[in-house]
Amino acid sequence: MKKKFNTRKCLAAGLALLTLFMLAACGGPKDDTSMIISSESDIRIVNLFSPMEKTDPNVENVARSAADMTILLAEERLGVRVAYRTYTAEDSKDKTYDEVLLDRARNDMDDLYLLNPDIIMALAAEGELMDLSGLACTQNLRDVVLTANMVDGKLVAVPQEVVAYGLFINKDIFDACNLELPNTPEEFLECCRVLQKNGYETPIGANRWWLETFVLAIAYADLYNGGDVEAEIAALNSGERKYSDYMRPGFEFLQQLIDNGYIDTEKALNSEAIEGEGADFRAQVTPIVMAYWGAANAETAYGGTDFEMQVIGFPSHQGQMPVISMTGFGVGINAEHAEDAMAVLDVITSDEALQIYAEINRVISPSENVRVDCVPSLKPLNDRIEENVYVLGSNANMKLEQWGNICLVVRQLLAGATVDECMAEFDRLQAETLPE
Amino acid sequence: MGSLVMKEPINQIKKNKGIYFFLPIILIFCILGTLVFSISQKISREMSDSAIQNLSESLDLIKCTIESIFNNETEFQMLIAQELARVDNPEEYVRNYEKNRTIAKISLIMAGQTQGVSNIDEVFSADELDFSAENVINGLSVSQSYVNYMGTWAYSIKCPVRKDGQEIATLYMEYTYDFIDRFLPEGFYNAQATLYIMDAESERFVLKPEGMGKRSAGHLNLDDFYRANNIIDDSLRAEVKDCLINNQNILFYHYIRGVHALNYMWSVNDGNIFLIGYVPVEAIQQEGKTVNHNLILVVVSMLLAFFICCLLYYFSQRQQQKIARERETEREIHNKQLSEALLAAQIASNSKTMFLSNMSHDIRTPMNAVLGFARLLTTEAENPVKVRDYTSKIMASGQHLLSLINDVLDVSKIESGKVVLNIEEFTLNDLVASVDAIIQPMAKAKQQEFYVEVTGIKHEYLLGDETRMNQILINLLSNAVKYTPNGGTIWFRIIGQKQRSNQYEHIRIEVEDNGYGMTPEYLATIFEAFTRAENSTTNKVQGTGLGMAITKNIVELMGGSIDVSSEVNKGSLFKVDLEFRIPEVQMERKFWAESGIRRILAVVEDAETGDNIKTLMDDMGVEVDLALDLPEARQLLAAGQSYQIVLLDWCLPDLAGLSALKQLRSFLPESMPIFCLAAYDTEGLEAALEIENVDILNKPFFVSAFKERLLIMQSGEDEKEDLEPEIEDNLEGLHFLAAEDNEINAEILTEILDMEGASCEIVENGQLAVERFAQASLAEFDAILMDVQMPVMNGYDATRAIRALMRDDAREIPIIAMTANAFAEDEKAALDAGMNAHVAKPIDVDLLKKVIKQYTKREA
Repeated sequence: MKKKFNTRKCLAAGLALLTLFMLAACGGPKDDTSMIISSESDIRIVNLFSPMEKTDPNVENVARSAADMTILLAEERLGVRVAYRTYTAEDSKDKTYDEVLLDRARNDMDDLYLLNPDIIMALAAEGELMDLSGLACTQNLRDVVLTANMVDGKLVAVPQEVVAYGLFINKDIFDACNLELPNTPEEFLECCRVLQKNGYETPIGANRWWLETFVLAIAYADLYNGGDVEAEIAALNSGERKYSDYMRPGFEFLQQLIDNGYIDTEKALNSEAIEGEGADFRAQVTPIVMAYWGAANAETAYGGTDFEMQVIGFPSHQGQMPVISMTGFGVGINAEHAEDAMAVLDVITSDEALQIYAEINRVISPSENVRVDCVPSLKPLNDRIEENVYVLGSNANMKLEQWGNICLVVRQLLAGATVDECMAEFDRLQAETLPE
Repeated sequence: MGSLVMKEPINQIKKNKGIYFFLPIILIFCILGTLVFSISQKISREMSDSAIQNLSESLDLIKCTIESIFNNETEFQMLIAQELARVDNPEEYVRNYEKNRTIAKISLIMAGQTQGVSNIDEVFSADELDFSAENVINGLSVSQSYVNYMGTWAYSIKCPVRKDGQEIATLYMEYTYDFIDRFLPEGFYNAQATLYIMDAESERFVLKPEGMGKRSAGHLNLDDFYRANNIIDDSLRAEVKDCLINNQNILFYHYIRGVHALNYMWSVNDGNIFLIGYVPVEAIQQEGKTVNHNLILVVVSMLLAFFICCLLYYFSQRQQQKIARERETEREIHNKQLSEALLAAQIASNSKTMFLSNMSHDIRTPMNAVLGFARLLTTEAENPVKVRDYTSKIMASGQHLLSLINDVLDVSKIESGKVVLNIEEFTLNDLVASVDAIIQPMAKAKQQEFYVEVTGIKHEYLLGDETRMNQILINLLSNAVKYTPNGGTIWFRIIGQKQRSNQYEHIRIEVEDNGYGMTPEYLATIFEAFTRAENSTTNKVQGTGLGMAITKNIVELMGGSIDVSSEVNKGSLFKVDLEFRIPEVQMERKFWAESGIRRILAVVEDAETGDNIKTLMDDMGVEVDLALDLPEARQLLAAGQSYQIVLLDWCLPDLAGLSALKQLRSFLPESMPIFCLAAYDTEGLEAALEIENVDILNKPFFVSAFKERLLIMQSGEDEKEDLEPEIEDNLEGLHFLAAEDNEINAEILTEILDMEGASCEIVENGQLAVERFAQASLAEFDAILMDVQMPVMNGYDATRAIRALMRDDAREIPIIAMTANAFAEDEKAALDAGMNAHVAKPIDVDLLKKVIKQYTKREA
């Protein structure tokens, strides 16, 4: 009886307390004022112009997410808001991203730009980019990064990843055709022959951007791997040696690929990167494509294929040769928010941000302090880079910009120009760089 | 089956009750749920309509802003055109027009020319622009959107430059969409809404205003928007297409990346451009959601309150049912108790009827003898042999009647709770000795063997009511003797049990016989009053049938228990468990210490007997060494141990009795006392007593008996000497004052005393006794015999009055109570009143003589 009595007492007390709380909740401070003052936002803006990758309703764009995370880090640190401005060409008739970027940079439309290697050179030559040497982040950059982006003693761009280009091979098809991974151009041609014989009519999937990598690998394999880089570049800059001499074997090799029908030139000329050839590669119609390192990780590109994929260097006389190129962030010389843009760049290329970026994207970091394991398919390519075997896609010390110019000349080859005509174009371009 | 049939309707009723209780609750819940759901739906619909309205207004606002910018631009352009018409060199004016963020480029083509000038130092050609869509703002043509020289999406408006009614040139001004962005809000619906500006003709997305949607999302054109947002329903797309063509605004729901969103396509400037985007439904119906949440919260609270009420009601009902059940149970128990009480009363009544019947019979039987033989006496008065025979039979019948009355009174007192135990120190030795003294002769008379065994007792001196203990033992043992045929055996055992407390001795008393035994039916009622083993008409054994009831009551009064097992013709075993408080034994221990007795040698027939002795003597602080035969005893003695006394069991297995004693004495000094332990009535003990320093101890061994015999030995007294000379047991020459109101009793007393040579003076009450004694001369009376229940003044008051008299002998004169108030309490009351002794009626002449002699001895 006593227990019951206590339970009742507790219940009654609980109810009373609840009622009290309820009544108290009905009270509260009265809003005496009917005036609401809205204050203007004073958030500082940094405009970032970067390419827009098409989103897929079913797939998360990991590469974009990684970059976004570094941007978020900068926003948190600096209290700024980075506004994205983008452009993507609808088709080959549209202005390219690089063309639009050049226009925008020249007209000081944005603060921060994500630049391709040739555009870095172009804008640097025009003095449109800030010198970034003073940023704290530059202290930890690899030499290869500094070499690629240093123009006239100024560091004009800092990348978030070292982009290594390679050949993406459908290993299952190669195995089915009893093919070894090719090392030299000859071996590669033989592979293409066998593949074609086995029903793969156009063994190489190409777009209008990345065929230059074949040329670069063959052209500069000796230069960057055992050659006297400084002397040879000096000779090229002075006109003592010709770029066309370096380029010819590569162009002849491309010509062979074209002549044998290993590349669909028309499709290549009208295709954007990955968009044109990617679907066929994933569908195992095309056994070989060329792409950058990160494409092996991103599901929007070639990550998570249904077959075994291997990424190797391009064929050269020195074996499989990775081509290293660097997109980089640069700040417009007349940027409206230059100071904030520099600060943002410093954060997004800091070791902390690069660690986040590299871990998500599994890429080679430009910082010496950041290293992550690569996915298995990239191991052959990574092994060569670890052996310091690679060629640079661009070199700021060469007066003739490489990445963009070779790309354009390759397009001429695709469009039907002869190798000799292409070499003549190089000679012309080189002549423009020589002092009068 | 019958009971099952009866139960089913009850279960059915319970089930129905549950249904009747829960059905309305469920119905209320259903109604409440439906109500809440419909209200919630209504609110959602209203909120949705309101949200759509709100969204439309927001989009309209943006639309108006853009159209306003367009209008301003055209108005400004017309002003510039007018200005150009005024200036002398319009081309120069254009070339010098400073580039700014509002107007990206200004160009002029003079009439009749295909190329013109612009303010960015380039040759301008109208072919660069596409006016085919025939979009118009304020009457001015607007070009299709394009990416301009600044790398941003732009459009151009062309305006004719008229001078004097003649079109002299065409003015082209280029505007960027970025400029529009400056006038748009920085996101709406808390930046959750996505918005693009789409050029209707090309379906290209030309602007994503700042803060409108996720920054990671970017779309190229309408197809890309459809693809990226998984809008693949062809009919929907066709419907949207129609709206775009017809410049209609459209809203439709669609899941964008798993989020339910409201998509919109809003026509601006008559469909030149469209506002395209989506907003999550959750974002536009935030208030509705909050309202619904609150509504649900309120409903849940109400439901909770309702539940609590139901729960309280349920508990209250259950409590009431429980109370009702408890009351019912209580009533049932009460009824049962009443029935039992009634039954018990009936049984008691029957028992008492039976008892009365038995008593009537039992009283009439000896009464018949008394009256019959009294009648015979009147006829045979001359024949002394027959007179003696008849009187002895009358006496026997009278004695039986007396015991019957005593037992009846005893039972009556115990049952009414009037018995008080008289707790005093006693020894088990005295208890056993007194019982033995009574039972042995009875057993001997029936040629029965009577064995007394005491084992495991640690303390012999105990606190308890010795008289009642005696009563228990005599009852049990006399029954055993009575119900055991001639030549049977009776065992009386006192067994020490494991102590439950150091302060209490726990003993078990067992009385076993191999007599007639009892039937199980009788065993069940043996402790009930007024029962006997057999109906008295056939009973061979005389008895009141109350003995066992009295025994059980006394045992329970002492806090003990009694148990019995029996088998017909095999015998019975009574077990009585009792606990007695152990008194302080310092005095006893002191005796042994002062006597210098620290160690004794016990030569015993078995180890058990030895252990008993050892245990009891340990309690006295005396160590005991045991020897099971004489050689062992000799060895112990030779070992140099110093013994003060030797105990010798008279029944040693090898060498018993006198021979053993003599042998033992031969190697002991003569001064060493030897006590022989012998059973009752052992023969040949006289010879032992002739040996110096030898005495006899009766078995079983008790310290008190040992001490007593030792004291006698130490004082040098002989038992024979201790015996007092035969007291003259007549009352010759004594003169008494007797207060007795009953004439017959007075006459009997007078006659008895007369027979004994004494005389008495009878007074009729206490008052007279006091007065007579007050008047008497000193030593006139040797004693006063005082009845208790008398008229005028009772015996107690009279005694107190006598003792209070101012006479020398008032305190000395022996006053002996002679009363039918025969209980111990009566005796105590008598002694408390100042009397010297108590003799119960009917008068036992021998007892009376003994008592009188005891108290008049001094005078004698």
